[in-house]
Amino acid sequence: MDEARESPTGEITRRRFLMGAGGFALVAAVGGAFILPGKMLVMADAEGFLLVDLKKCQGCGSCKMACALAHWGVASYTLSRVQIQQDSFQNWPNDVFMAVCRQCKDAPCVQVCPVSANRPDPKNGNVRIIDTHRCIGCRQCIEACPYTPKRLQWDPMSRKAQKCDLCRDTPYLGEKGGPGGTQACVKVCPVGAFKFSREMPDQKVEDSYQVNLRGPAWAKLGMSVE
Amino acid sequence: MYGYAGKILHLDMSSRKSAVILTEHYRSWGGGHGMGSALFWDFCKDKTITDGRSPANVVCIMTSPLCGTIVPSAGGRCEVVGVGVGLHPVSWFTRSNFGGRFSTTLKYAGWDGIVVTGKADHPLWIDIRNDEVSFRDARSLWGKDTWTTQQEIWREVGAEQGTKKAWREIRKHFDEGQTADKPAVLAIGPAGESLSCHGCLIHDAGNGAGQGGFGAVWGAKNLKAISVTGTGLFSVADPAALLQARFATKEKYATHTENPDLRAWSFLAKPFRPVLFSAPPTKNRRPQACQGCITGCRARYGVGYGNESSCQETSWYLSHVRRVFKTPAEITEVNLKAADIVQKYGFNSYPVMAGLHWLEHLHEEGILGDGRAIPSSLPWEELGTLDFAEKFIHALATRTDIGADLADGWLQAALKWGREEDLRTGAMHFPYWGSPEHGYDPRAELEWGYGTIVGDRDLNSHCFNQIFWDVNIHFAFGMPMRLDAREMVETVAAKLSPYIKDRPEALDFGNANMYSEAVAQLVRWQLHYCRFWKQSALFCDLRWPNLYNSNTPDFSGATASADAGEQVFWNAVTGDRLSFEQGIELGRRIWNLDNAIWVLQGRHRDMVRFAPYIYENRFTKGEILPFYFWPCRDKDGTWRYADVMGRAIDFDKFEEWKTIFYRLEGWDTKTGWPLRNTLEKMELDHVADALEAVGKLGGKPHE
Repeated sequence: MDEARESPTGEITRRRFLMGAGGFALVAAVGGAFILPGKMLVMADAEGFLLVDLKKCQGCGSCKMACALAHWGVASYTLSRVQIQQDSFQNWPNDVFMAVCRQCKDAPCVQVCPVSANRPDPKNGNVRIIDTHRCIGCRQCIEACPYTPKRLQWDPMSRKAQKCDLCRDTPYLGEKGGPGGTQACVKVCPVGAFKFSREMPDQKVEDSYQVNLRGPAWAKLGMSVE
Repeated sequence: MYGYAGKILHLDMSSRKSAVILTEHYRSWGGGHGMGSALFWDFCKDKTITDGRSPANVVCIMTSPLCGTIVPSAGGRCEVVGVGVGLHPVSWFTRSNFGGRFSTTLKYAGWDGIVVTGKADHPLWIDIRNDEVSFRDARSLWGKDTWTTQQEIWREVGAEQGTKKAWREIRKHFDEGQTADKPAVLAIGPAGESLSCHGCLIHDAGNGAGQGGFGAVWGAKNLKAISVTGTGLFSVADPAALLQARFATKEKYATHTENPDLRAWSFLAKPFRPVLFSAPPTKNRRPQACQGCITGCRARYGVGYGNESSCQETSWYLSHVRRVFKTPAEITEVNLKAADIVQKYGFNSYPVMAGLHWLEHLHEEGILGDGRAIPSSLPWEELGTLDFAEKFIHALATRTDIGADLADGWLQAALKWGREEDLRTGAMHFPYWGSPEHGYDPRAELEWGYGTIVGDRDLNSHCFNQIFWDVNIHFAFGMPMRLDAREMVETVAAKLSPYIKDRPEALDFGNANMYSEAVAQLVRWQLHYCRFWKQSALFCDLRWPNLYNSNTPDFSGATASADAGEQVFWNAVTGDRLSFEQGIELGRRIWNLDNAIWVLQGRHRDMVRFAPYIYENRFTKGEILPFYFWPCRDKDGTWRYADVMGRAIDFDKFEEWKTIFYRLEGWDTKTGWPLRNTLEKMELDHVADALEAVGKLGGKPHE
């Protein structure tokens, strides 16, 4: 991705401005991230992660609906920051996939944002957030996400991107969200197929966010804990 | 309007045109069944039709404000109404209901429901992508099973099979909507195409609108499937209140994930186990749930069969399988593969459960079979095998062999075959409206039987039936009762506002109380509760009402509670200030509209009678267990769980009970037709006018 290019609106982007102004060394602090020469953005690791158990999910979609509700106060699938994909005609465990944002180390979506709207939030455990006031709707962050399906979503009404913020900005949740608080998906899930973790999973392993959350109670119900 | 998409889709199959109906015109009916009945009233021009396959029939597929939300076990249900197929003597205006993600997706596409009128000149399927609606040629899909049909439509719409798939633009540009989900498809299979009364509607692998013969209704309209892709949203009045009520339900009333009570009482409290009548085939499985459900009742397995089948479809063949196969693994495999067969054929297996016993009886008596009085070349000697199941369902779904006679209804076939006596001896367990007994015989479980015969179809409402399961399973396995009989009836009666709150005698199904006013009130409560809270607001029948609950210290259930009652969720979503009781009153209004339609179809109280065996024979052999314990009072007033098997229903006393029921409903006790005063109090003046115009208003001189 060419960071120096102009934004779709033709305006000089914040990043390009910073690069032009700083140029040779650490030039700017952008909400918990630093730009190094060579256009590499260095950012602090996130301090919170969602882990999932694909073999446990009951596919009820409650997490999706709770997510859109907590963030936007509306009922929606597409505005959910976690996506549960199901194929009714596949067999366990290939019938369900839980797509959650990985809060990546050196997150590609943060790297490419031309206006630093997508950035770590140092006040909330460096969770990667999108400042909707700053987002210019260029979709570069969505395209940069290397995972399928993309873990960022497009809001066609505001024409901006959105992503999981671990419920940092949830005016409709009714309780404190964010890394130190509640995540709606974790709390609403009937089977406990989500877990919030402070420990960063192995970034080199694609399925490192997929964990086994099936304990003795699951076995007691006659289901596999393998 | 919070909770609503705001529009209802009208599909006219004859002209292949769609139109928009504004939901606000029907807002006073709530949603689901209520809206569907009101739409049927307005759109069906000939309400005297008695066969749902008539082109004049109107079928409505309706959501509720709660669909597409996290309201526990309400977010994914969908109600279907219209005139049914295959009942006797009349196929009444009736209903069915299914789960999954169809209603949720429909809401996100911007529609609160679908009204289907007319009849196409060749098979069509409907492609809904948000506001865009297309009538598409289904001739290449005709003849295909429900699973193949759905997957071919997925392909047509651009959705790949499997999971871990990229977001998909629903048209050409991402601003027109993107989704990570498969289209939600509701389809008929060969049974519906052949206009068999067994035809049902299937969505995904195992969500079915079984009763009512709506597959045949769709088949008659040349409607093969409706596919919905929805990428929109709708507003919720109080999102925080909704989230908090949902959290409260999980924490207080539903099963505890890490410490489940395996012996929990009440359906809402039970742990994540599929409702199967044979053992699960493997531990390699997940619970599987409708959208928004707080405790899934089905499963998907690693073995390649039985996915999403539960309850009825896993019991229709089981007793026969058990006679052929001996190991639990074999029994489970054949039983679940038989369930797959009915799902694929789009076949309602419910009549077959009782019906196959009757056919076996006819075969054993030398009446049915090759070269016999009732000719059938099916391999009856192989009953219990998978091969027989396939051939049998194929025959009934395609009108071949005995399926030609059974396609129009089981009682119709019995009459054609000269087997009226089987309804007198009880060899044919079809106690009401040509519909089979559900396992809960009317002579024992009164609210089920009484509620069915004053209604339109097998009731299939488990409001109080939970008591049967909890008590009798604990008795069967020698486990101590969680609640004694007095505790049970007092806990439940505390929830039965407005008719019988704190009147536990309504739950006394003993011989001395079975025709009482209290039981009539119990039946009314269930009917009115269900018409609104279950069938219009669309709380799931297998989770609600929650009248008692072993997860709470005092066993008080979530129903009508201040923290997680039905009205809490309704109001959080819609912004209404509806009380629990006002919901039941709205259910009474819907029930009265339905009854008015039945009257126009020809209903009279003299038709409201069980099959003769219910009056003439005592109930001595249970479908499920050899006993039927229910709370009853001794002569001294002491409550205990007593076996209510061994009795018949007294014809004259039941006629007296009907009079009590009609009086409580505000209906003419001679005819069962509604009184003008009753209808006008519910702002149904126009319904009273319509009945009066054809001489069918109660209280007027009548023949």
